[in-house]
Amino acid sequence: MKNFSEWISTTFLSLFIQNNQAWMIPTIQSVHIVGISVVIGSILMVALRVLRLGWMDQSLAAVQSRFFPWLKGAIIALAVTGALLLVAEPARELMSFSFWAKMALIVIGLGIATAFVSTVGRNEAVWDDNRLKQGSIKLATVLTLCVWVGVIFMGRLIAYDHVWGSLSPSNHSEPK
Amino acid sequence: MTFTDILNAVAAWAVSDYIRGALLAFPLLESAHVVFLTLVFGTILIVDLRLLGVASINRTFGALESDIIKWTWFAFAGAVLTGALMFITNPTVYFENVPFRIKMILLLCAGLNMLIFEQFTRRKYKDFEGTAAAPRPARIAAVLSLVLWTGVIGAGRVIGFTTSHVAVALPPAAENLDFDDFLTSDAPAPAPAQ
Repeated sequence: MKNFSEWISTTFLSLFIQNNQAWMIPTIQSVHIVGISVVIGSILMVALRVLRLGWMDQSLAAVQSRFFPWLKGAIIALAVTGALLLVAEPARELMSFSFWAKMALIVIGLGIATAFVSTVGRNEAVWDDNRLKQGSIKLATVLTLCVWVGVIFMGRLIAYDHVWGSLSPSNHSEPK
Repeated sequence: MTFTDILNAVAAWAVSDYIRGALLAFPLLESAHVVFLTLVFGTILIVDLRLLGVASINRTFGALESDIIKWTWFAFAGAVLTGALMFITNPTVYFENVPFRIKMILLLCAGLNMLIFEQFTRRKYKDFEGTAAAPRPARIAAVLSLVLWTGVIGAGRVIGFTTSHVAVALPPAAENLDFDDFLTSDAPAPAPAQ
């Protein structure tokens, strides 16, 4: 991973961002944060409908179809900006515990979202309000929110990876 | 008592000292701050997109806003609390920081924009609830909102690159040091003062 990181940092794209990093990295990060806002906002709105705390004038399928296209677009934007940040500073990500924990949580979060879309999409009538009142559904919804909050925490902790002590492969400790 | 005295007094609080020195406190506060701010921006975005007639147009503005506004306020309160707890670790540095000042001004402008919208625009155009795009003043407020809040995010990010919550003590200046000696001689530089 160390050699791979070093190799990435010698590529043209990496050097380009490194040479302009003073404005480029905060800008790419800011776009990344806007993307996070779209994801967490979309997840929250669908969760509110599942938990029957809002959007009750709309069916669950309608709320999902309102927000999931934005969720998809934001995930793509996050992947692109995330990749740019990784290419610019490969060791910062690849040699941190937080980054890999974040990637694992994203896989889980997207897995839950995909499963949700396919079940709601196939059985719209089944997901009536009685089904939504089930404790297991409510628990799963709260867990999904926790997963995405966890993604945000892990993302920020990349800059503070030293807090993981011996779990952190690098000595990075500069807060950015 | 000057304002600087107040800032220094805040820096000396036990809670300030704790957050400054603890391993996990500042990183966790900053992470929580990101969760809250993304919820603020995310919920405001939904409302602004409705005003612009881009999304959620099958709902009236009133119905949409009443669902969302409590979450925006909850998230904003969380952002202010976590922000304040970070601020107190190094008040003078943050207060002097230009991006921080810009962020505070942008926040004020965003708040003012929301106030004007709620108190004037919305009342004047009571009937727009059912239409796709809102009347022009409301759309202007929506665009302003998005620009201002994006600015808050950008300025906030730059604060992180231009400050530290750790008060760094500069090493004491060495005595009788002539820097030209380093140019002309092979003598090693003196060890840094501990």
